[in-house]
Amino acid sequence: MSGSRLGLLAGAAGVALIITGAAFAAPPDDRILPAEMHQSDKARTLAAKHGRALRDLSAEIYHCLPWVETRKHSIGFYKPRHVQDDRRFLSIRLYIEQEPSPQFARLSIEQRASAMFSRYVGAVLKRMTRQPAVRNDDTIDGFTVILEWLKQVPEGGQRPVHETIAAFVDKVDGESYLSGQLTMRDLATKARVLGWDGETSVGALKLAAWDDDFVSTFRVKNYQPDPTISCRQ
Amino acid sequence: MPHPVRLLLIGGALFAAAGCASNDEWTTWKDHRTHFASGEHMFFSVKNREGTSARVSRGDIAMARDEGWWGKPITVSQEQILER
Repeated sequence: MSGSRLGLLAGAAGVALIITGAAFAAPPDDRILPAEMHQSDKARTLAAKHGRALRDLSAEIYHCLPWVETRKHSIGFYKPRHVQDDRRFLSIRLYIEQEPSPQFARLSIEQRASAMFSRYVGAVLKRMTRQPAVRNDDTIDGFTVILEWLKQVPEGGQRPVHETIAAFVDKVDGESYLSGQLTMRDLATKARVLGWDGETSVGALKLAAWDDDFVSTFRVKNYQPDPTISCRQ
Repeated sequence: MPHPVRLLLIGGALFAAAGCASNDEWTTWKDHRTHFASGEHMFFSVKNREGTSARVSRGDIAMARDEGWWGKPITVSQEQILER
């Protein structure tokens, strides 16, 4: 291969890297379910009305909790499957990147779920309700926080298995927690929490939660968030 | 020769001991909240990327995550939990 051709290839690779890097500088647009893809008038109205708040939430999670990942259509005004009426919960689904720990894996699923609930649900709830317009909107019926994590390191080319919990918090309980009237322990009692091992439901989980300040204290070593983003507790 | 029921009981007890965390382990986990610090394996590759500064950007993390991807996970679909 000639030197000029090699140079061209190297240049193209460099451009590709720059483009890739630029694309990673902001959360991808598809993290939020577009308003028109919600399937009820109530949900479409909420999504349109609070579009800015959803984009801010997506950006804050992306920049301030960089070990957490949202995927396509992770954020929206979804209806929990187990409710009958068109009750709309502001919902978010997060994949938590963490080192698979044998010690953590030896805990029971209720203990792992309690740990994850304690660590993330309150912190995410606060971020979901940053905007007073969201917090004060009585047509929002509640909040769903879905957390998933790698169960254990896959062996021998096997597909990784995730554990997932979905915490459904009614609006009144969320507000009581945010205003300090409910503790994290109380919130775990009031919330409906469902669990999955891979694709298999393990049903409703009874959790014993506690206050965990990990999200507000953990820092990725040497990580510099975008200076235009304000990372608050 | 041990009775088969006794063997079953012993086996069950060993399985339970191996499969569940002890109270000590649970207490340890609760008391040491950074015991499973998030993202350590992912950021290892970020820290060791040659020719880069110590400063880690969000783009670095996204690229490291893609490189360390375990493959398509087996996980519950969004549709099993929520409706649009």
